[in-house]
Amino acid sequence: MASKFQQNSNIAAQNQLAHWLNETGMSDGHKKADLLRKSIELLLHQCSHMLPTHLENVLSYVSDKSTDIKKQVVGFIEELSKNHPQFLPKIISQLRLLVLDSVIAVQKRAIQAASIVYRNTLLWICKENGELSELQFVWDNLKELKLLVLNMIDSDNEGIRTHSIKFLEEVVLLQSPSGSGEEDFCLDNLPSHLPFINRHALEEESEHIFQLLVKFHNSQHISSVNLMACMTTLCLLAKFRPKYMPRVIQALGDLHTTLPPTLSQSQVNSVRKQLKMLIVNLIRHPSSADMIPQLTQLLADIGMSAQEINKLVPKDRRYKRVGDVKNGDTPAKRLRIDSPHSNSQGSDSNSRSDFTLFDDDSSQGASKSAPIVTEDTIFEGLNNVDNVVNLVMSTLLNCLPTEMPSNFASLYNPIPNSGTKVQKRHLAKLTYALIKNEPEVPPQPLLSDIAAKIPLLREEEEKITLKNAVAKLQESTKAERQKENAVSKLMEETRQEYLKDEERRNKDKEKPSVPPTPTIPKLKQKVKFLKLQEITRPIPKDIKEKLMLQAVERILGAEKEAAIGGASQIRAKLITIFASSYTPEIRELILNYILDDPVNRIDLALSWLYEEYALMQGFNRHPVTLQPKMHEKHDQNYNQLLCALITQIAERGDPIMEASKDLLLRKVYSECPVVTEEAVDYLKHLVTEDKVAMLALELLEELCIMRPPRAHKYVTSLLCHVLSENEEIREFALKASVKIYKRGTESVRRVIEKQALLYLGFMSLPIPPTEVMPRHTRVWNDDAYKLCLNLTMALFPENEELIVEVGRVYGAAGAEAKRVVLRAIEGPLRAAQWPQGTQGPQGTQPGGLHPACRALLQHCPRGAETLLTRLVHILTEKAPPSPELVSRVRELYATRVSDVRFLIPVLTGLTKKEILAALPKLIKLNPVVVKEVFNKLLGLQNMHEERSPVSPTDLLVALHLIDPGTADLKYIIKATAMYCQQSCSGCAKSPRSRC
Amino acid sequence: MTDIYIAVVCSSNMNRSMEAHAFLVKKGFKVKSFGTGEKVKLPGASADRPNCYEFGVPYDDIYNDLLEKDKNYYTQNGLLHMVDRNRRIKPSPEKFQVSTERFDVIITCEERVYDQVIEWFGSRRSVYNQPVHVINIDIQDNHEEATIGAFLISDMVTKMAQSEDLDNDIDELL
Repeated sequence: MASKFQQNSNIAAQNQLAHWLNETGMSDGHKKADLLRKSIELLLHQCSHMLPTHLENVLSYVSDKSTDIKKQVVGFIEELSKNHPQFLPKIISQLRLLVLDSVIAVQKRAIQAASIVYRNTLLWICKENGELSELQFVWDNLKELKLLVLNMIDSDNEGIRTHSIKFLEEVVLLQSPSGSGEEDFCLDNLPSHLPFINRHALEEESEHIFQLLVKFHNSQHISSVNLMACMTTLCLLAKFRPKYMPRVIQALGDLHTTLPPTLSQSQVNSVRKQLKMLIVNLIRHPSSADMIPQLTQLLADIGMSAQEINKLVPKDRRYKRVGDVKNGDTPAKRLRIDSPHSNSQGSDSNSRSDFTLFDDDSSQGASKSAPIVTEDTIFEGLNNVDNVVNLVMSTLLNCLPTEMPSNFASLYNPIPNSGTKVQKRHLAKLTYALIKNEPEVPPQPLLSDIAAKIPLLREEEEKITLKNAVAKLQESTKAERQKENAVSKLMEETRQEYLKDEERRNKDKEKPSVPPTPTIPKLKQKVKFLKLQEITRPIPKDIKEKLMLQAVERILGAEKEAAIGGASQIRAKLITIFASSYTPEIRELILNYILDDPVNRIDLALSWLYEEYALMQGFNRHPVTLQPKMHEKHDQNYNQLLCALITQIAERGDPIMEASKDLLLRKVYSECPVVTEEAVDYLKHLVTEDKVAMLALELLEELCIMRPPRAHKYVTSLLCHVLSENEEIREFALKASVKIYKRGTESVRRVIEKQALLYLGFMSLPIPPTEVMPRHTRVWNDDAYKLCLNLTMALFPENEELIVEVGRVYGAAGAEAKRVVLRAIEGPLRAAQWPQGTQGPQGTQPGGLHPACRALLQHCPRGAETLLTRLVHILTEKAPPSPELVSRVRELYATRVSDVRFLIPVLTGLTKKEILAALPKLIKLNPVVVKEVFNKLLGLQNMHEERSPVSPTDLLVALHLIDPGTADLKYIIKATAMYCQQSCSGCAKSPRSRC
Repeated sequence: MTDIYIAVVCSSNMNRSMEAHAFLVKKGFKVKSFGTGEKVKLPGASADRPNCYEFGVPYDDIYNDLLEKDKNYYTQNGLLHMVDRNRRIKPSPEKFQVSTERFDVIITCEERVYDQVIEWFGSRRSVYNQPVHVINIDIQDNHEEATIGAFLISDMVTKMAQSEDLDNDIDELL
């Protein structure tokens, strides 16, 4: 029955849940939040079996607009992690999203949940034997989450800081080994078999975080709220992880001496109060046993009386302390610890003077015992028991006041190392100082405290402990009962006095000094809230920028002053940093400043350029705040600046600028760290302007020559001008190109060649491209062809290989173009130093062909036969054809070129048979050519003294033997007549020919 | 922050905290009040014999008890009136150290109470890691001061409620 009822209610709950969830999706505002809250409650507590179904529904509200809803989701995640950790893989990334939420309240809530989730996740990882990948996924997410929160400790929002402190506290706790074997979770519980968990690394991380917390704790700008949170956290860590104890106490001590200067009086008070409470708690904690002295010292410094402190310290440890002391701990420290007056409140001068009086009394005794005093004599005297007894007795009888001074009761502490040599020596020294009546103003309060103990120390000679001392004193005055009254009365008085003191102190505080914080007290009091974050509002951005602009203006205006003061370099540096790191307005201001007097300020411009360049390349060593934001395109800035400088210089047109334009442009181009493409483009553009064209060209040339690494980029801008219509420019560009080609690196040469070939290639196009002829009606003419050729031709003497390319284009080009090429190539071909020309006289040493030439001959492009003929012609003009040339020509004649004219240049190199075979064809040619043939064969016009393979007689015979079937008889007759004519005129010139 | 959850704490949860509680409730805040003392102490016929009750004893009972003891005297010194008011606010005095609720702000009315609250927090591990602001306003334990104190607290809480982000603003606000 019961189970059935349960089942029914379960179903009801499920229905309700579904209903509410649906409603949630459709409602708004408060109602929505309310419904979601109810759904979550139901889901978690009554229908947890429905979690898998509805989990996504709830989690989807992560991206809701309402803060409330998001917070509820965080709460849901938190609960899930605790009770249903199996869903962790699903929720962990949502939590990460929430930690990064834009609403601060949600962020805080998420961080808060994160620490709980963190703990629960670790627990889950420990228990879960599930899938490794899932565990790892959660763990990785968690790590990122941790990192996120870690960075939030520097958040601008105090609340987020507080929350992240708490989160980090949890992380440190979880990731450090527990000193005492508590049941609480700690690093040791983590399983070691999981590959992604490295205990050692985790521990190290916790150590880092701890250090971070300490650093944060002792930072100067911390707010009181966070300071207190941080203090609490540190103390908590110290309690749970004793290994941190010494450092925590150190940190608290540091804090006490250097409270953040930004705290107001009331905040200082509450921080002190908190500090006191925390230390008291620490003292009570067992693990602080070793640190009791430091802790009590701190308490004393804060202004707690010795009795209060003594009351705090647990009994067993109090004894331990005495034990410690007997073993001879550092006495100075001891004394300091035990001296309540070393508190730095500084208002105890009153009571201290009491003690000095007291001392004076006793010192009389001392002086009696040692008439001629030195420190040593006193020391010796103190070694004598009689002396000491006398001293004590007389002090007791004469110098003690009838009533115990109230201060005594509150301030007295046993002398720890009484009776030791060190102490005696010290005592002797102090006594001596008293006797000598030296001004008893010891440099430190510490010493005065020691002095204050002098009379007591003497009693201590007989190793009287505190109790004994009190008992003795009491004995010497009244009966037991009375004593007790007196003591309580004394206590009461002390308390009263203390209260008064306190009151006075408080009043004091209202007046200038705030004792222990080493700040500027006067100022602090007048300005009540010196906490910068509180009293200052960030200046609105526009005002900030305006102020900055004005500041820069002033710096700019102070040129002369800076120079006089010898700070011009620093000024320049400042200006460049301002210019490169801040707003566009400042850039503009400085740019204008430079352009106002560019001649003198060009150096500033250049150093700015260098600064920009450094930023662009990431060489800068400025603090992070000055570094450009990621979204700023800093690589653009350099380019923009360079271009702005150049264009302004070139175009501003005021007289000063005009005069020095030349110089300035050259300086900028030659001295800037890198010339960007745009700057080069600008230069290219300048060439088209009449006035500066030549300057621009010169600059381009200089760029290419002076900056070899990037010359291949610059050179194209120069090369394009070889097509210029302006002859002057064209000529200059050509010359410069050749010059660069001669000097340039491999890559530059390649670029130039490529460009030359491109232009050359234009020739084979049906209409001239725009580069050659920008006008609308584009028709090829000789000039256009020449333009295309000029660069190649100019390069030709430097690189004969180009002939191959020329040949290729020639083959494809039209007749007009061919004619132009033939005409154009003649000069360079002749000028080129062909190997043929350098051969010895009479061709006795048949050298090889030039490789370029050979290549052309070998792979003669179709249609380029005429070019080849021309080439061979030129080759043989000055020297007899080499056998290689002859064989190539012969080969070509046999395979490709059927024109017999092709053979003419090499006739002399052919065999007799060949010549005779060609003769019938030769005589059919134009009479001028025939004449030339005979000239060649007869060795007329021959300056190389070469021997013709056919003798004139043979030739004549051959002419006669020509078969009329192969050649028309008319040709034969004409040829024979011409032969005779030639040979006869030849006889006169050449004595060699046998006519 | 839309609605902050406030606790007002004094020693006995009778006068100062209840005065403020009453006032804040009227202003529409979400508020609770507590005492931190060992017992609920009310002035008795003489200074050394206070009336002591355990926390949790309903105001009603206290009222009746006082009524029984000396109606005249307690009417004159205002105690009856005070307890009467209290019982109309909530059933019985509550001890702070027993509460498990999570507040955003805790206002204490005396330094000793503040110390006790802080110590109470210091003595245990936090479960939710939720920070809370503990603010002390010294109020003497008498009727007039309690009324003035309640005004002060109300002013302060109103300012807090207006703050968008209390954690961030509280330093300045105080």
